[in-house]
Amino acid sequence: MSAQRSNVKEDVWIHTSCGGCYAQCGIRVRRVDGVVVDIEGNPETPAGSGRICAKGTAQLMTLYDRHRVNYPVKRTNPEKGVGVDPKWERITWDEAIDTIVSKFKNMKDPRGTYFQATTVQTSEIRFAVPAFMKAWGFKNYWVSGGGLWCGNGAHFMNGIMHAAWSIIPDWTHNNYTIYFGCSKGHGAGHAALQSAQWVADARARGMKAVVFDPFLSTQASKAHEWVPIRVGTDGAVALAMLNVILNEIGKWDAHYLKLKTNAPYLIKPDQYYMRDPETNKPLIWDPEDGKAKPFDHPSIKDYAIEGTYEVNGTPCHPSFQLLKEHVKGNYPLDKVEKISSVPATTIRRIAHEFVEHAQIGSTIAINGKELPLRPAAAIFFRGSQGHVNSGWNCLEIDLLNQVIGASDVPGGAMGHGPPVSHGHPDTGKPETIPYPCPDGLMVVKGWVYDHKPYPLREPKPPTRLDLQDMFPCSVYNAFTICTPEWEQYLKDFKIDYRPEIMINFGSNSVMTMANAEDVTENFLKKFDFVFSFNIFHNEFTEAVADVVLPDCCFLERYTPCVTFPSTFCHPTGMDHWVWQIRQPVVQPLYERRDFNEIMLEIAKRLGIHDKYYKAINDLIPVRYGGEMSPEYKLDPSGDYSWQDIVDRVLKDRLGPDKGLEALKKTGLEKWATKVEEMYWRWFVPVRVPIYFEYFLDSGKKARELCASFGREDIQDWSFYTPLAEWFPCPSHEEKNPEFDLWAFSWRPSFHTQSSTQNNPWLDEVSVNDPFVYLIQINADTGKKKGLSDGDVVYVENPIGRKIKGPVKLVEGMHPEQLGIAGCHGHWARGTPISKGKGQFFDDLIITDAKHTDSLTQGSDACVKVKVYKANGR
Amino acid sequence: MELKAQSKWRWLIAAYLFLAGLGGGAYVTGVVADFLGGEWVQISKIGVFLGFPCVAVGCLFLIADLGTPKNFWRAGMRPNTSWVARGTIIITTFMIVGVIHIGFWIWPFHALEDAVGARQVIGVLGTIFAVLTMIYTGILLGANRPIAFWSTAMVPLLFFVSALSTGIMAVMLIASARGGALTGQVEALARMDILLIIMEMFVLVFYLQATHRVPESRASAKLVLTGSVAPLFWVGVVILGLIVPIILELIGTFGMHGEGGAAISILASVSGLFGGLCLREVVLSGGILAPLRAGRFEFALPMV
Amino acid sequence: MPRYGFVIDLKRCYGCYSCQVACKAANHTPQGIDWARCVPAETGKFPSSLRQMLPLVCQQCANPTCMEVCPTGATTQDENGIVHVDKNLCMGCKACMMACPYGARQSVEDWKTYFPDAEGGLDPYEAYAKEKWEEKNGYGMATKCDYCMDRVKEGRQPACVDTCPAKARYFGDLDDPESEISILIKREHGFQLNPEFGTDPSCYYLPPR
Ligand SMILES: Nc1nc2c(c(=O)[nH]1)N[C@H]1C(S)=C(S)[C@@H](COP(=O)(O)OP(=O)(O)OC[C@H]3O[C@@H](n4cnc5c(=O)[nH]c(N)nc54)[C@H](O)[C@@H]3O)O[C@H]1N2
Ligand SMILES: Nc1nc2c(c(=O)[nH]1)N[C@H]1C(S)=C(S)[C@@H](COP(=O)(O)OP(=O)(O)OC[C@H]3O[C@@H](n4cnc5c(=O)[nH]c(N)nc54)[C@H](O)[C@@H]3O)O[C@H]1N2
Ligand code: SF4
Ligand code: SF4
Ligand code: SF4
Ligand code: SF4
Ligand code: SF4
Ligand SMILES: [Mo]
Repeated sequence: MSAQRSNVKEDVWIHTSCGGCYAQCGIRVRRVDGVVVDIEGNPETPAGSGRICAKGTAQLMTLYDRHRVNYPVKRTNPEKGVGVDPKWERITWDEAIDTIVSKFKNMKDPRGTYFQATTVQTSEIRFAVPAFMKAWGFKNYWVSGGGLWCGNGAHFMNGIMHAAWSIIPDWTHNNYTIYFGCSKGHGAGHAALQSAQWVADARARGMKAVVFDPFLSTQASKAHEWVPIRVGTDGAVALAMLNVILNEIGKWDAHYLKLKTNAPYLIKPDQYYMRDPETNKPLIWDPEDGKAKPFDHPSIKDYAIEGTYEVNGTPCHPSFQLLKEHVKGNYPLDKVEKISSVPATTIRRIAHEFVEHAQIGSTIAINGKELPLRPAAAIFFRGSQGHVNSGWNCLEIDLLNQVIGASDVPGGAMGHGPPVSHGHPDTGKPETIPYPCPDGLMVVKGWVYDHKPYPLREPKPPTRLDLQDMFPCSVYNAFTICTPEWEQYLKDFKIDYRPEIMINFGSNSVMTMANAEDVTENFLKKFDFVFSFNIFHNEFTEAVADVVLPDCCFLERYTPCVTFPSTFCHPTGMDHWVWQIRQPVVQPLYERRDFNEIMLEIAKRLGIHDKYYKAINDLIPVRYGGEMSPEYKLDPSGDYSWQDIVDRVLKDRLGPDKGLEALKKTGLEKWATKVEEMYWRWFVPVRVPIYFEYFLDSGKKARELCASFGREDIQDWSFYTPLAEWFPCPSHEEKNPEFDLWAFSWRPSFHTQSSTQNNPWLDEVSVNDPFVYLIQINADTGKKKGLSDGDVVYVENPIGRKIKGPVKLVEGMHPEQLGIAGCHGHWARGTPISKGKGQFFDDLIITDAKHTDSLTQGSDACVKVKVYKANGR
Repeated sequence: MELKAQSKWRWLIAAYLFLAGLGGGAYVTGVVADFLGGEWVQISKIGVFLGFPCVAVGCLFLIADLGTPKNFWRAGMRPNTSWVARGTIIITTFMIVGVIHIGFWIWPFHALEDAVGARQVIGVLGTIFAVLTMIYTGILLGANRPIAFWSTAMVPLLFFVSALSTGIMAVMLIASARGGALTGQVEALARMDILLIIMEMFVLVFYLQATHRVPESRASAKLVLTGSVAPLFWVGVVILGLIVPIILELIGTFGMHGEGGAAISILASVSGLFGGLCLREVVLSGGILAPLRAGRFEFALPMV
Repeated sequence: MPRYGFVIDLKRCYGCYSCQVACKAANHTPQGIDWARCVPAETGKFPSSLRQMLPLVCQQCANPTCMEVCPTGATTQDENGIVHVDKNLCMGCKACMMACPYGARQSVEDWKTYFPDAEGGLDPYEAYAKEKWEEKNGYGMATKCDYCMDRVKEGRQPACVDTCPAKARYFGDLDDPESEISILIKREHGFQLNPEFGTDPSCYYLPPR
């Protein structure tokens, strides 16, 4: 082909990693005479195996998007707010950095700095963000999505149960998967492209999928059964299924429960563990010897998980017994049918199918190792977790995997990305093997947040602006900062500094945190100075940024670790480990410069580069498993460029001959996975809780702490209970019959949150798709309301906020619900292609203490609405 | 599933189909009049004189619609490839005969003015190609198998009747517009046209009914009768194209004569001609491609 | 001589449009041209409603209606069954676009930039794409998928096949009974779209459920 162009001087393929979403697939990019002309998957990597999605290919248009930010600019219009024209004025890089540095130097208190970063560029935020925070001395940050949709509940819970960010079925062996509000293998993240191949193979093999979803989503359309469900009620359904399994079917994986969970731990009437007075270890009941023993005592012959036992005169129950009784008493099927709208018969049938497919007791040999085979899994994510019951919903769904022993064994629910790594054969890094706490419960080795999911954080008088440190398990709190009460909270909790400077890396928080007006007025406008690294002038920069710096996009920059930590993007399965890097496929166009480089430069100008280097030395062991070798550690008195750092990280993790120059050739390093890594559960001596005893103390401490500030009212403390409960969202308690529909949001596979709608290729797809830019309503419901296709309606929430758009009447929608795709409906001047297309769902969300999970502080993303025709179309 | 109509062939092609039909119809009217002789000579000349220019102008519309007009000449180079090619030959032949017919009939050649026999031979030859032209415009659409609304024998029939009717009306229009009183010939033409319009009505009803068998033609009929094309159909085709002319022609032939009659005849013709153009556009814009089927699903092709 | 064919497994396809966009990139097609078009549909009443994507390509019919109606001879079929349009012969009459039952043919009048609101000329990619498009195709004329013959000649798979995340697309030789596609068609009840048009497509589909 290229040969036809006689004057072609260069025609090369460059191996790097996609950054179109957090799946980070391996790609190869074709450059002809300095122009990028094609993007394809890199067949050499397990992260996609050569296949990429529409968004990935279309990134070609983002690289060259003529609306990109190409020069530093400053705001000349002093007014800030949603929809305001900032009246950008071009400035030089020198002026931009001088301004930023002098703003930092003149701060009243460095703690008043706040970092906001985007989830989309997930591998870019692992260095500059934490390093600068440590070096400059502040703790405030938010990674968008966190706390609202994908953060607090799911990652917290998966961390406790699977040492991982998420869970995914082992599709190579799975025969039955229950989806609770997630699209895994059908679009959304989590090694999206490898998962898509595996799930398609599994389906071809006969794997059955049951999808609980308010609408006929992509995954539901491919499943063998779609179960329409009322939003936010997944946990209740899971508990009812648990009830059927434990009390009707009476089948469970006793071996697993006894050895790998706290099911046998004896519980006193006060809900706490019965502990050994000597060792303080939780006790179990050995029915053979007829006495209580510390849970890990070598003399244990068997564990009782049912019954009542008297220990030192106190009647105790194994926690499993309590769980069994709890679901029987509190989650009968008829009650859950009323909550969820899922017929009791359906719940019962699926519970039966699930247990049947689990093949409890069966085993399989993989690479000569005999392992349990449990080809059934229940998985979840954003859909089921974006509710008041966020944390519990996730835990409840995973309990289904726990009782059948389908946890990190062939066929079951696997921690994703693979949480257990023995490291590269040459270096032993990254090494991430979980270990037990004194109570025997699992503690993760590496984690991307600064606090591990377990043991829970000790509640402390808050130091962060969102009061996060006061709560035992939250990562981000949107409910404090997005409300008009924020200042009151700061006063009540005696925070002695105020917001001053916000550093924004991409995150379009005006559109992705909560209602735009709330975020802007109550939160973002409280900062004196906001600067943003961005590739577009998006809703965020236009609303509040004072200076915008033209960042490189992922095709123009270096990143040392793309597939590690393996959280989002590393496929989970017996393929290979892959360490991908990112490298520029063209030199940054115009005056674009890389975020990581600039943050380093700012640190140097502020004279904190020594601390910055030290912070990097400190964070690498935590995030990338294993101490740094002395020769690659950054010398605090040295002077490094970003590329030097990239090179050192690579050599340290992969070996001296695997530096940047070496990896640029292939874009990746691969090594074989071991059975002990992928199917690690029985190789690692840890247990996980099915009874959350430690919530009791944590809750009590947090409550007392809040009470000491006179704000015991801040949360509903009943969430801190050891036995899984389902708590309703305010939408479930809405009394006004006018608000008769639940609104929810879902992701199309060809858009990434709010960042891809300006991509003309993806826009072209969307305009012609009958669902993404329209409001989907069940056809009968719509007709009853006198609506027909294309009618423009208002969708209004109970506090009078509304969005507008054309409806599409569909059969694939629960009659009581209304679905809006993604995060569309843009208004930024900087992205004219996306402007006004689709709807902006988040404007309907209500963010306050009532709409927040009291356990994990995740925000509720469902809302009751009324729908009516907009006059005059 | 919402089936969408094609959008590539619209007014330019409608104008082409209309003018080709009209040209053919007028020519045939002229030749028949020539055979009648006597008082009919004026009518005959008008008819024959209209044939070539109308078709030629129609062809210009066709060329204007082409994506790469510079390759227009290739259309007739491979006659047995397709109906477009065959049609090109037919129309070209008709135009050649038409030009000869006109050319040799007028000053300075006059050759056919008196050579009645030769003129009539040419006339018969021309008539054959005129009829083919009128029918071909319908067959052309019928070759598009996936568009059920077009691929029916009703379309050539409909276009043929309409072509004759519009041809006659064009002749009536010129004859009446030359001033003076309404002649008996024009009245005779009007009576002929009344018959044709009645026929056209029957064909139209039959056409719209006969196409109700497959989903795409049901959708076409719906689009035409009640959908977005309905205004053009009811006002353009039915009222202006059929009802107005037939009423006016009835008034003209049975009630009014003289100059008033001429005015009515003009009105009827203009209205009817416009209706004829609308008819082509209605048929075109009702063209819906068959949905594709797989299992229980029907997929509506995006607009072509 | 192989007769090139396609198999698209509707069971595997989850409607992600990756093929459509990959085709766009691989063939540098302008705005409005999508040779690998995806068409979604819904059927049935709630709650037993179903959704499915139908990904299209040119079916490279053995009896192509597009060729039947082409007056200029611009449309031809090669010995591998691939139907081509000669950009120098086509007059853009659109007859083939009406006659193709699979919506496989499209034309554009001009290169419209994807960034109409931006200042300045075409970006480097669009400039390259435009040049490439004009080299192989053009404006006003009929254009269509040719099963990525350039790639196939280089020993590669068509772009849309290479990228499909669900591995729902297969390319191969229909005349070879041992080829992957022949086996799939036989084993999984492959069918052709709308056989009533008598076109005998070289693209087979495997049933959606
Ligand atoms: N309605 C609705 N809202 C949602 C969700 C939903 O499903 N529906 N999902 C939520 C979830 S889970 C998440 S994680 C959040 C995500 O929220 P965000 O992290 O805010 O992600 P985006 O909306 O994609 O916005 C990212 C912005 O980053 C910029 N950007 C992209 N690439 C780069 C780059 O390389 N460098 C720089 N400097 N900037 C870049 C783009 O300008 C883009 O506007 O959204 C949440 N909001
Ligand atoms: N293509 C694409 N991939 C992405 C992203 C993207 O924007 N685009 N973003 C990445 C990010 S940041 C994240 S967090 C992940 C999210 O990945 P997913 O969790 O898969 O995200 P969604 O598609 O938003 O939600 C999944 C499903 O939940 C359903 N749902 C909504 N509410 C409820 C409910 O209450 N109960 C149940 N049962 N279902 C419900 C929705 O209809 C939807 O079908 O995807 C990642 N990957
Ligand atoms: S799934 Fe995400 S990372 Fe992978 S190709 Fe698509 S956009 Fe890129
Ligand atoms: S790329 Fe594959 S899965 Fe996606 S729409 Fe095309 S055929 Fe279907
Ligand atoms: S699919 Fe259409 S364009 Fe392709 S060969 Fe068949 S008839 Fe011709
Ligand atoms: S548009 Fe071109 S290829 Fe199609 S029928 Fe006309 S001349 Fe032939
Ligand atoms: S085979 Fe090639 S040209 Fe045809 S649809 Fe696929 S990518 Fe496009
Ligand atoms: Mo997310």
